[in-house]
Amino acid sequence: MSQLSVKHLIGIKHINEADINLIFETADHFKEVINRPIKKVPSLRDITIANLFFENSTRTKLSFELAEKRLSADIINFSASQSSVKKGETLIDTANNILSMKVDLIVMRHPNVGACDFLSKHVNARIVNAGDGTHEHPTQALLDSYSIREKLGSVTGKKVVIVGDILHSRVALSNIYALKLQGAEVKVCGPKTLIPKYIESLGVGVEYDIKKALEWCDVANVLRVQNERMAINYFPSTREYAQLFGINKPLLDSLSKKIVIMHPGPINRGVEITSEVANSDQSIILNQVENGVAVRMAVIYLLAEQIQR
Amino acid sequence: MTLLIKSATIIDKTSPFHNQTKDILIENGIILKIENSIENKGNFEEIQLDNLHISQGWFDTSVCFGEPGFEERETIENGLNTAAKSGFTAVAVNPNTSPVADNKATIEFIKNKACGFATSLYPLGSLTKNSESEDIAELFDMKNYGAIAFGDYKKPISNANLLKISLQYAQNFDGLIMSYPQDNSIARNGLVNEEKNSTRLGLKGLPALAEEMQIARDLFILEYTSGKLHIPSISTAKSVQLIKDAKKKGLQVTCSVTAHNLVLTDDELMDFDSNTKVLPPLRTSKDINALIKGLNDGVIDIITSDHNPIDIEHKKVEYSNAKFGTIGLESLFGALNKVIDTDVLIASLTTNPRKIFNIEINCIKVGEKADLTLFNPDDAYTFTEAHILSTSKNSIFLNKKLTGRVYGVIANNKTIL
Repeated sequence: MSQLSVKHLIGIKHINEADINLIFETADHFKEVINRPIKKVPSLRDITIANLFFENSTRTKLSFELAEKRLSADIINFSASQSSVKKGETLIDTANNILSMKVDLIVMRHPNVGACDFLSKHVNARIVNAGDGTHEHPTQALLDSYSIREKLGSVTGKKVVIVGDILHSRVALSNIYALKLQGAEVKVCGPKTLIPKYIESLGVGVEYDIKKALEWCDVANVLRVQNERMAINYFPSTREYAQLFGINKPLLDSLSKKIVIMHPGPINRGVEITSEVANSDQSIILNQVENGVAVRMAVIYLLAEQIQR
Repeated sequence: MTLLIKSATIIDKTSPFHNQTKDILIENGIILKIENSIENKGNFEEIQLDNLHISQGWFDTSVCFGEPGFEERETIENGLNTAAKSGFTAVAVNPNTSPVADNKATIEFIKNKACGFATSLYPLGSLTKNSESEDIAELFDMKNYGAIAFGDYKKPISNANLLKISLQYAQNFDGLIMSYPQDNSIARNGLVNEEKNSTRLGLKGLPALAEEMQIARDLFILEYTSGKLHIPSISTAKSVQLIKDAKKKGLQVTCSVTAHNLVLTDDELMDFDSNTKVLPPLRTSKDINALIKGLNDGVIDIITSDHNPIDIEHKKVEYSNAKFGTIGLESLFGALNKVIDTDVLIASLTTNPRKIFNIEINCIKVGEKADLTLFNPDDAYTFTEAHILSTSKNSIFLNKKLTGRVYGVIANNKTIL
């Protein structure tokens, strides 16, 4: 059976199209598993996974934890708020302490860009990046592409617009890499203050008019306005943001075709999208959540498979 | 002590022996003879080295030695020995010590610690008290105790009026003011050059605009106040243009560039190696071309290593938590020797910085003080940790191929090889 070309999943920019296809094929299998009456396989019952969350997370952490449990791995959870990190311990020491307990794989979320890359060079375990600062969030991008593939049959040739705060978004960056790798066309749309100046160097287009962007695309991936990552105000108020970039039902209905609406969650209802849009038949937001478990099972399974046991 | 140097090619545009291969006889630190061949009649100590080249002693205008306060990074003693073995007969040390070198007592302490070495140490005094960018420190007092210029190292002078007052005040005693070119309201907490690589990596960008706006502002102020302003470590193409225009206007402005900003681009960032985290950040090849042209055209006066030892506890951490800075004394010559024209390189390490910082120049001719750097410009090697003499090992040039090896120095009547 084929293997991933990487030992860790740190970023989409480190993997290739064959890796993505392998992950998706494996996820197809696991999606079938998690819809059985007995939702569990014994594949990783001799593997121990540490979930290190140095930054708050609800859904990503739950999704990983569920994926690990469905694979029968032993898991330990660690979050910064209850750890010695607050006492000044360094990342390497924290990770090495946990590895001394014979952990095989680490799933890590960290506020610092490059933290997973750094860890992979200094500890002897497989690393899965669950989000590092404004760098990458590869499993989110994979589950987003997987959901597009499920809904539209393929990602290749599709037009995807990513709407919102691109500057502070690891989801946007990973999505751009993943979508480009699979041959999709990508545009970003949002306030100019939240679009990186050199974003076009990644081969994506920029559109500042939300209506034009939606008219162009097959899929709109709408990002959350990340107030917690903003040190200053990049726009005057969420009210004004909603006026300029919010997606509501009349706007969707005014388009010449039915587009697919995605959102990585959690939604600021009434800001990026209205409840009506989130709950509409065009939205695949809850499918993304379900697919998240299957895709994360696939990633962990494929990385664990490389561990000599 | 008498010393006979055999077959040395002299690289010194101010010397009548420029580009000639000669024997040099030195007695008690003074050049006694320069001739085609000098016989060793007195059983003098003889220096005969492979492909030996000799220039005036190099002067690095921006190094940090940590002491006092950060001795775990570097001490003055090991720092000066490192400088000597790397070819530097003089260094200017930044005031970013603890306590900050913002008063005569600290300046005196640093000077006293540096007595008796081959390499001479010249302290830079902090422009403002505790480098807090609020009140001017006692500049004249520090100058009297050996401070050669005044600045807050990498802390920009955010308050324009403070720079205005400093430039005016320092004219009373012909003081040189340094202003680090960065507008913090634009730079914010940027980590790396804002460009396509920062976008690819999701690293917070530090736009060239932050540097250029500050330089433009400083030059406006300088035009108003007169006085002497040195802008350390410029890094962008537009900065070169701004300084070129100001020099054309006749302003007394000088500037330096770091060795790493002349050869490395932000492509180095791709694997998050924290040694690449430097201020100013690594820019693009377009900037490098403009900086080299600026050197050749005389717009940029000085090359510095911007030697900044950082202990492993502050470097072997996640990229955003790592401190800015790289060591550079050991690698400067090897990194630049084949990139920058030899005469330009040597001038930017010798006569130019000595003139600007007003310290003694010793030309290679009979009767002058022997203040010499000995090197072999053709020796190629891979720079590894074994080449690092500094206490801290944070070199941006680790594992890079360098050409040009420094043998050492002869200075202050001492030979360090």
